[in-house]
Amino acid sequence: MKLLKQFWWILPLAFIAFYPVTLAGGSPYWSGLLIFVGIYVILTVGLDLLMGYTGQISVGHAAYFAIGAYASGILTAKYGFSPLGAMVIGMVLTGIVAWALGRPVLALKEYYLAMATLAFNEIVVTLIIGLEWLTGGASGLRDIPSFSIFGLVLSNHVHYYYFVWAIVIIVIACSLAVVRSPFGRTLVAIHSDEVAARAFGVDTAKYKTRIFVLASVFASMAGSLFTHYMGFLAPDDFGVLTSINILVMLFLGGIGTIFGPILGAFFMKLLPELTYQIHDYELLLSGLILIIVLVFMPKGLFGIFTAIWEKMFAKADK
Amino acid sequence: MTDKRDAILSVKNVTKTFEGIRALEDVSFDVKSGHIKALIGPNGAGKTTLLNAINGIMSPDSGHIHFLGHDVVGHSADRVAGLGLSRTFQLIRMFTINNATVLDNVLLGAHMQLKPTLFESIFSRGKVNKAERKACDRAMELLRFVGLEKAADAAPGSLPFGNQRLVELARSLMTNPKMLLLDEPASGLNDTEVESFTELLRSIREKGITILLVEHNMKLVMNIADDIVVLDFGKKLAEGTPQAICANPQVIEAYLGTTQTECRLEP
Amino acid sequence: MTDFSHIVQFFFSGLTSGSMYALIAVSLVIVYKVSLLICFAQGEFFVIGALAMVTLVSKGLPMPLAFVLSILISTVLGALVQRMLIKPIQNAGIGNLIVMTIAISLTLRGAALLVWGKESHILKPFSSGAPIPVLGATLQPQVLWIISITIVVLIMIWIFFEKTKLGIAMRACAENRLGASLMGISTDKAALLAWAWGSGIGALAGMAVAPLLFMQYGSGVMPMVKGFIAVSIGGLSSIVGSVVAGLLLGTVEAYTIGLISSKFSDTIVFSLLMVVLIFKPSGLFGKG
Repeated sequence: MKLLKQFWWILPLAFIAFYPVTLAGGSPYWSGLLIFVGIYVILTVGLDLLMGYTGQISVGHAAYFAIGAYASGILTAKYGFSPLGAMVIGMVLTGIVAWALGRPVLALKEYYLAMATLAFNEIVVTLIIGLEWLTGGASGLRDIPSFSIFGLVLSNHVHYYYFVWAIVIIVIACSLAVVRSPFGRTLVAIHSDEVAARAFGVDTAKYKTRIFVLASVFASMAGSLFTHYMGFLAPDDFGVLTSINILVMLFLGGIGTIFGPILGAFFMKLLPELTYQIHDYELLLSGLILIIVLVFMPKGLFGIFTAIWEKMFAKADK
Repeated sequence: MTDKRDAILSVKNVTKTFEGIRALEDVSFDVKSGHIKALIGPNGAGKTTLLNAINGIMSPDSGHIHFLGHDVVGHSADRVAGLGLSRTFQLIRMFTINNATVLDNVLLGAHMQLKPTLFESIFSRGKVNKAERKACDRAMELLRFVGLEKAADAAPGSLPFGNQRLVELARSLMTNPKMLLLDEPASGLNDTEVESFTELLRSIREKGITILLVEHNMKLVMNIADDIVVLDFGKKLAEGTPQAICANPQVIEAYLGTTQTECRLEP
Repeated sequence: MTDFSHIVQFFFSGLTSGSMYALIAVSLVIVYKVSLLICFAQGEFFVIGALAMVTLVSKGLPMPLAFVLSILISTVLGALVQRMLIKPIQNAGIGNLIVMTIAISLTLRGAALLVWGKESHILKPFSSGAPIPVLGATLQPQVLWIISITIVVLIMIWIFFEKTKLGIAMRACAENRLGASLMGISTDKAALLAWAWGSGIGALAGMAVAPLLFMQYGSGVMPMVKGFIAVSIGGLSSIVGSVVAGLLLGTVEAYTIGLISSKFSDTIVFSLLMVVLIFKPSGLFGKG
């Protein structure tokens, strides 16, 4: 039992490692599903750093997802960049945008912050639609090549699956390192009481901006991964509704937990697959899920899991 | 002793108006390095407003505040903190999100020494962990100093108010301050606790840390303050040694009248 | 080249969307003033009001009756939402409340999708009549309805908050919680009333413009955001400010679409919002 408590993380890791060959049985459809889950985990973990730890609401996280996706798509499809190079350029570009926006936007609070982030999301989407010569506009951007690193093309779903999840694990490891360090403590202090944090020497604007940049760079990475998997980009995937979906995943999984987003993304991506005959219910269901989480489960699915887990060990320890 | 150079903090002609009401009017005084100066006055006299102005939470409308020779008016609170000024709050302000513990709160006081960066948090764990361990030892030492080492892992909200104020004190000391602003640190303490708190303040002063103490407990103030400044309706009413303040008829009328029995020096 | 008649035409369309934004802005302000909450679901009341009226009219109800019933439905819905969803978590922190109103918005939008489907619906105009030519441009009679409804609503709000005992107590509630309880209204009851008012006015805005727009389940998002833009410009606590800002926004938008670019009009409007938020967070007409 002690061993299990210490090495529990091997279980999900093993699941991720063996999933394509066991459960998915090499089926591109089921591998593909978990590729999407992985991409959304990256997005949601970033939002968790920003909202769950630092307390800064964002209703526009899809904007940075979009910048990464379109940077990768445009650079590879139109200008012949290598996917890895395009991905890095996208991350740098998103980082610069987030850094420039960070100070003025994160100085806002509550509704104003929510609306400013939403507005930026809309600006990005309207630009994508409007700048047809660059982005393909509403009809989309086509002919995006598969991801390749150093000449190795990841057109096989299973290969791409491992590539995406390797990045997911790196993102989670980085996020854990951040929140379990003095940096994370500073973020929590800002979340709890910004004025008091400042009185202890925290340059709150600087720290908020830094974590915002990190979250946005993660989102940009997710965007690049998304682009090369889809091979086609349309503005619909990057609107405010996507931002809100990420928000639902975060709250459902458990805000302020880093691991929660995995559960949230998994559940929310699986849901439409299981209910595809009743596609029209999706919107209503995500709304109801969010309401239930807010009223009854403040730490989301992860909170319930840990509660059960602790009860299990409390019994075992006796 | 009255040399001007001795002043670590100097407040000059500070005025602050909130929606037409004068919260502070032309307040001036100095705090000498290594002293405990008490700031007293009835509720609403502007004491907390003054502390907020000193540590940069809020800017006064006019006047100057010099701390260690820097004019800190217009500085943000984090810059003032960086100069070596720390404080506690009248309405306790603990960090509580994500199950932050008492120890976490005290450790935040080490922010300026640790200066965490994203890069180091991710790529230089060894260095970060080493610094963190050192900070942890120091935080435990300070919790022991205020008598709360057993509460290190508790949620701050689970402690009685008096103890939460002591955690705030430990958190401020964690910043290695040159000066402390304490906003009613003894409220919520019983008589014996006040006595040990007095000792605590004495040993802080012995470490060379200057204290500006806002406090209603006159017994504590008379016991420990080197000198006192009295505020009333945002104006400075009097300033002087505890004896002089006790004997000041204006002060007695405005403030001490009700608490006069406590206004005497213990032998 | 654009001639004068176009300028007039753009003015009419600006006035139309401006009135719509103004009404939504007012509904946001009323809820905000009393419960310090901006409801992201306000756009859904706008849609539900309009679509409810479409359905009622199609069932053969006379226009005026359908009109009153639709307002009633939205008002009751708003009150229910406040009681059942907002009140239970009102101490959970502003972040969670914002997310809750987003959740309500998703839920109502999802419900509207199930009830009315994905297709667009159009309401027949409140009164029949040919478009009126004015200075070379044409004015739909419905626009006159929209403007008169806006004026009537504003007068009603003014009378309610300035002249009735209940309204004055609610206003006191916005300014001073203790004062309100002294005037015999609990903050709780005031919040409920404000939500009822807010959702009713939101619905009214939707019903008024429904004959000019194609309404479907998702049509409420943009009006809500534009209403918020008006509120941000006008100041969160100022009804007059947000009405002026709403009309201004509608007009600026109409001229941007007509004279500059229809493709980037939203880019321009949202950039404008960000600029206002960043440089003047209390609104152009707000204080402090």
